[in-house]
Amino acid sequence: MSKTDDTQTATTAGTGAGTDLSSIRVDDPIVEIRNASVTFDMERGESRVLDEVSLDIERDEILGIVGESGSGKSMFASALLDAIVNPGVLTGDVTYHPQGDAEVDVLGLSPEQLRELRWEEISMVFQGAQSSFNPTITIRAHFEETIEAHNYNMEQAMAHARELLSDLYMDPDRVLDSYPHELSGGMQQRTLIALSLVLEPNVLVMDEPTAALDLLMQRSILSLLEDLQEKYDLSIVFITHDLPLVAGLADRLAVMYAFEFVEIGPASDLIGNPTHPYTRALLKAVPNLDTPLSEMRPIDGMAPDPVDVPQGCSYHPRCPLADETCRAEDPTYHDVTSDHQSACFHWEDSAEAIPLSTDGEHGETQAFAGEQSDEPVVSLEDVDVHFDQVSDGGLLSVFQEPDTVHAVDDISLDVYENDVVTLVGESGCGKTTLGKAVIGAQRPTDGTVAYRGQDIWEAKDSRRETDIPYEHIRRSLQMIHQDPGSSLNPNRKVAASLKAPLKRWEPDMDPDDRQERILSLLEYVGMSPPGDYAQRYPHQLSGGEKQRVALIRALLMNPDVILADEAVSALDVSLRVEVMDLMLELQDLFDTSYVFISHNLSNARYFSGKAGGRIGVMYLGELVEIGPAEQIINDPQHPYTKVLRWSTADLDIEETVEDPPLRGIDIPDPVDPPSGCRFHTRCPEAREACTRAQPTLDGHDDGTEHRTACFREYDESHEYWESEPIVDDADDADVAVGGSDSDARTDE
Amino acid sequence: MSIEETVPDGGTITGDEASADTPFGTVSSGTMSRRDRYKMLANEWVIAPFKILWDDWRARVGTLIILAYVLMGTVGVRLVDPPRVGEGDRLVSPFEDMSHPLGTDNMGNDIFAQIVHATPPMLEMIVAGAVFTTVMAVVVGTLSGYKGGWTDQLLMTFNDILMTIPGLPLVIVIAVILEPRSPWLVGVIITVNAWAGLARAIRSQVLTLREESYVEASRLMGISTPQIVMKDIMPGLMPYILVNFVNSARSVIFASVGLYFLGILPFTELNWGVMMNLSYETGGALYTWETAHWLLAPMVTIVILSFGLILFSQGTDRVFNPRVRARHTSAADPEEGDEDMSGEVATHIRG
Amino acid sequence: MINNYYIERTAQAVFTVFAVVTMTFGMIRLMPGGPVSYIRSQLVQQQGNQVDMEQVNALVEVYTNVAPDEPLYIQYIDYMAALLQGDLGVSMFYNDPVTEILASAAPWTVFVMSISLVLTFGLGITLGAVMAYIEGSRFDVSTTLVSIFLNSIPYYVMAIILVYVLGYQFNWFPTGGRISSDVATGMNLAFLQSAFYHAALPIASLVITGFGIQALAMRGNSIRVLGEDYIRVARLRGLPPHDIALRYVGRNAILPMYTGMMIAIGFMFGGSVILEEIFAYPGIGYYMFRGIMARDYPLMMGAFLIITIAVVVGIYVADLTYGKLDPRAGSGGGNREAY
Repeated sequence: MSKTDDTQTATTAGTGAGTDLSSIRVDDPIVEIRNASVTFDMERGESRVLDEVSLDIERDEILGIVGESGSGKSMFASALLDAIVNPGVLTGDVTYHPQGDAEVDVLGLSPEQLRELRWEEISMVFQGAQSSFNPTITIRAHFEETIEAHNYNMEQAMAHARELLSDLYMDPDRVLDSYPHELSGGMQQRTLIALSLVLEPNVLVMDEPTAALDLLMQRSILSLLEDLQEKYDLSIVFITHDLPLVAGLADRLAVMYAFEFVEIGPASDLIGNPTHPYTRALLKAVPNLDTPLSEMRPIDGMAPDPVDVPQGCSYHPRCPLADETCRAEDPTYHDVTSDHQSACFHWEDSAEAIPLSTDGEHGETQAFAGEQSDEPVVSLEDVDVHFDQVSDGGLLSVFQEPDTVHAVDDISLDVYENDVVTLVGESGCGKTTLGKAVIGAQRPTDGTVAYRGQDIWEAKDSRRETDIPYEHIRRSLQMIHQDPGSSLNPNRKVAASLKAPLKRWEPDMDPDDRQERILSLLEYVGMSPPGDYAQRYPHQLSGGEKQRVALIRALLMNPDVILADEAVSALDVSLRVEVMDLMLELQDLFDTSYVFISHNLSNARYFSGKAGGRIGVMYLGELVEIGPAEQIINDPQHPYTKVLRWSTADLDIEETVEDPPLRGIDIPDPVDPPSGCRFHTRCPEAREACTRAQPTLDGHDDGTEHRTACFREYDESHEYWESEPIVDDADDADVAVGGSDSDARTDE
Repeated sequence: MSIEETVPDGGTITGDEASADTPFGTVSSGTMSRRDRYKMLANEWVIAPFKILWDDWRARVGTLIILAYVLMGTVGVRLVDPPRVGEGDRLVSPFEDMSHPLGTDNMGNDIFAQIVHATPPMLEMIVAGAVFTTVMAVVVGTLSGYKGGWTDQLLMTFNDILMTIPGLPLVIVIAVILEPRSPWLVGVIITVNAWAGLARAIRSQVLTLREESYVEASRLMGISTPQIVMKDIMPGLMPYILVNFVNSARSVIFASVGLYFLGILPFTELNWGVMMNLSYETGGALYTWETAHWLLAPMVTIVILSFGLILFSQGTDRVFNPRVRARHTSAADPEEGDEDMSGEVATHIRG
Repeated sequence: MINNYYIERTAQAVFTVFAVVTMTFGMIRLMPGGPVSYIRSQLVQQQGNQVDMEQVNALVEVYTNVAPDEPLYIQYIDYMAALLQGDLGVSMFYNDPVTEILASAAPWTVFVMSISLVLTFGLGITLGAVMAYIEGSRFDVSTTLVSIFLNSIPYYVMAIILVYVLGYQFNWFPTGGRISSDVATGMNLAFLQSAFYHAALPIASLVITGFGIQALAMRGNSIRVLGEDYIRVARLRGLPPHDIALRYVGRNAILPMYTGMMIAIGFMFGGSVILEEIFAYPGIGYYMFRGIMARDYPLMMGAFLIITIAVVVGIYVADLTYGKLDPRAGSGGGNREAY
């Protein structure tokens, strides 16, 4: 595999890239990567998905690698274990230093040596925990076969496995006896981490290990990770697209763009004084809780194609500083400080050209807040939505006692014209169900949903004329779905998908007018040339483009309220701000209201904040706090909101990942929610009274819009203040935490 | 494609509900001629699918074989005289006398003529059976899956029972009772419970499709249920339905020939199975090589048709795959090939 | 969860049998030209036109357990009661109790069919797995083609060819019967040899025409599983290749094959009517055919009932083993399309 080394090094020396290796060297490297490239042969040319990468990993450090999807960061992870999938070809050098002066040439190992290196010395955790386990064997079997394959002492190793599982806040026996599908996503991911550490490796490579999880779970895992790293002397390579997430965790950060590292440095330096234009742009593009809203900017342009990386600096087409040199030459690393390198000719000028903070210019915030009405457009009163868990339509399903999931419990909410309400909460908290109830897509089990005073479901069921006909209501309440992949019919071209609503509601419209309107809309949202886009099938569009088409489709109905269900979560971070801006801009044009659903407080803050809207926090089917966006973010009242606030990583690198302000990581089973205040099982402030009575949003009225359902908001005469705090028995804690759900993934 | 020419030039803006400077009020300036429109439709529904079929060797061979049998059953019967007793010598070997290319049977009937003239009722049976299976399965499966609730439970309970009963014995019992003579009826009887399995499968596919966001979006846009089923659900099922249509055609052949061979279905018309029965049952025929061609000719006929149908079904699912379609309909999109490839790289990268 | 799964499957199996029994009752009762008119015409032939209706009815009751002059629900209850006691009526053709005839025939059909089933799937799964591992090789391509071709041959065509060539022409295999007449029944070697010798061609015709499609299915499943993340993770964990092949690829690729297996059970048992006739192999299918030809309704319907019950039991057993193999069964996340 390393045959081509010489030629590779020779060519790089010629172009001058990556030769100055002294600058990226660290004192005590555990793994050294030199000129590593990964190429795929494809019909239309060679695809280079890792481009002459050199990097050192220091012993016992946490190295964060940040890059957008398709930047080659997963390739880098695989390269560390010489585990590139066929037909990819890895060239270069990877050297592992076990202890002292010993050196292992990873790419030159025999298959058997390589087999021993993997997992025993360098181990890996993948993104999709669910798909990393064999679904037909138990977790215990996974551990045992790994231990056996490496001839470790079974008893000792299994004891270690149990310890790891406990360290990760799980009940070892219960987890070991489970099948993978019986664990929730967060437990699966933690189990996978335990599995990767069972042979006590020195290096742990984690490829987006938390991307599929809730923020709260992500943060909790991160804090556990820090403990593990200290306890077992690990070197961790943490790969993610989420810069704020890893900022507080990592000792050093490396930013990847277009298959190479563009900036490497200590986390504090890199965040505090980023020098590469891409790093700066990325920091501005990522929604977070600290940056003023006016300073968030999307990155223009697109990341390059692996077959056709631009000449010179690969970032130059998107870079405001680019000049002739950048177009012609590939920049080498420039020392910002002795341990901070930046692959940019203009690193000294970038701070000035791309300011991170525009002090004193807060006034120019582009606020989209429109005139809000006094009368609500949609009004929910005491709405319950309960689900019976579905059967397979078999013979006996009639006789089975169904489990009832309380997806939404007794919620009242008004949505006004030009309003933006963002619902946040962990998955399974019922926020999507509530959103669907608002737009009349989910029939409430109890309570009423009214559109401009007309009960929606009455209008639907009634045979008589109602004040507002159901057809009109249906048209006025629309939705944009979470997954761009399934929001458009894969079998229909964009034009056909967009024509459907017009054909339904304006059947008399001339076909040419229809065509014309669609084309101009596509153009308007930046899909140009529209004629070309109209004739595409969804698979020929990127995720962002699909969401734009879905947005147009909803707007063609000229609706009053649009439910945007995690509409930007599946998009790349740098695109999120752009799409949210487009949505708000269109709101301005159409006088539409949004109910925006997000598990991410940063997105919620950006979207609601920019439009002067509200944020509602949900927990296990209940609305626990609601109020103006900035108040919720800056002055959260409910303990759960505080937890969410904690879980949302910000760019403050001084703040280390602390222990979560929580007593349990996993959410209780929604089929059987806790009594009293539902949060009492995890709440750090919970007292005995919380287990009995349930606080409400209007239990105390201080006349503001900001309301909280917590006894701590009640006046001092409430029994809460007199009752005993709940203290977990230390031994029970693990069990309480681990012994939660397998069904917690029900509704979302 | 003429869309390129009608790219918006601003158009006339009508003061609809949306404000004037938005594109939501645009009307067209140019018109697409009727001919262009037909051309586009033809391209989309006839030419492109055919091209896709032709691209795959299995589908190509399968189509040719099926076409040959259809020709044999339509044109062939006009060109070849019906077999008559004693038109040739008894048990002439094949390829000996060109007036009896496949030889004759023990009564001097021309075997080739028998095979040709047995084709039309066979084709009728196949069409009847395949159409019946598909229609029943699609109706029951979609109804059950899309409606849910009691409808679903009732239909599926019935369906599961029907599915468990072994097909052939049931068909035999019914055939004995009804003694069907019309090939159309035979086709339906043979598939009397063959659709149940397909209905189950379609139901579960519908259940998945029903949860797709785009179906919910259509529902929220107020589009009617039949429209949603036709436009959003069916296209997703088409590859599946088509493959099963072809498969059930094959099982109709298998079962009907088998029943004619056993003599359970009345010998009203010529049939390949009847030929097999006569050659097999005729005294002493099995003890000599003399009659081999009589026995083999109908069997080879069946195997070739069945082979053609399998090849065809293996190639057809591509017709409905939007990824393949996109490549064939839009000549105006040269980067298309790249899209797929970069998708491939993306999976490599993420993998 | 798990318990519900078993209870539900059991109830479904029982209910299916019950439904089929009811259906057979209906068919016997409502058949135009059914047993009543058949027996009457037989008597007419024997005794001239003076047929005593009571005599006919008595005879019908003897043969079919249903007294035609009773009200419908009494007939139904009588029929059910007789069935529950294992009484399927009396064969008009053989003049023996149907239960006796079928009880002696059933083991032979089960013997042939279960061996065919095991061989078909054993061969198909092994071949399919090998094809998947060397996907795209010349072996893979040619085996795929051969599999498609063999699958386009109806099993009875294969049966006819085998019996014609190897039985009648070359005399290598018997052309009828279950065992040689000179072999004593019992668990001795000669008996087993003879049994296998006689069953060889029927089994061969099912296996040769059946394994191809299973091989293709297994090939497709294996290729899909080989692309799963957990295979990659298992390799990185350093598991020995044979462990990955068996516990990972094999197990996960075989699970969806259960659907095909359920269909194959019904297909093979149902096909016994044609197959056993061609090989003159006295199993249930053979007797069902005899019953049809002689318009012997009790025998025909009894055989139909037994074949159906055999299939229901087969599917039930397969279903239960599936529940053992796939931990997700019953929790709705299973791989197997409810067949």
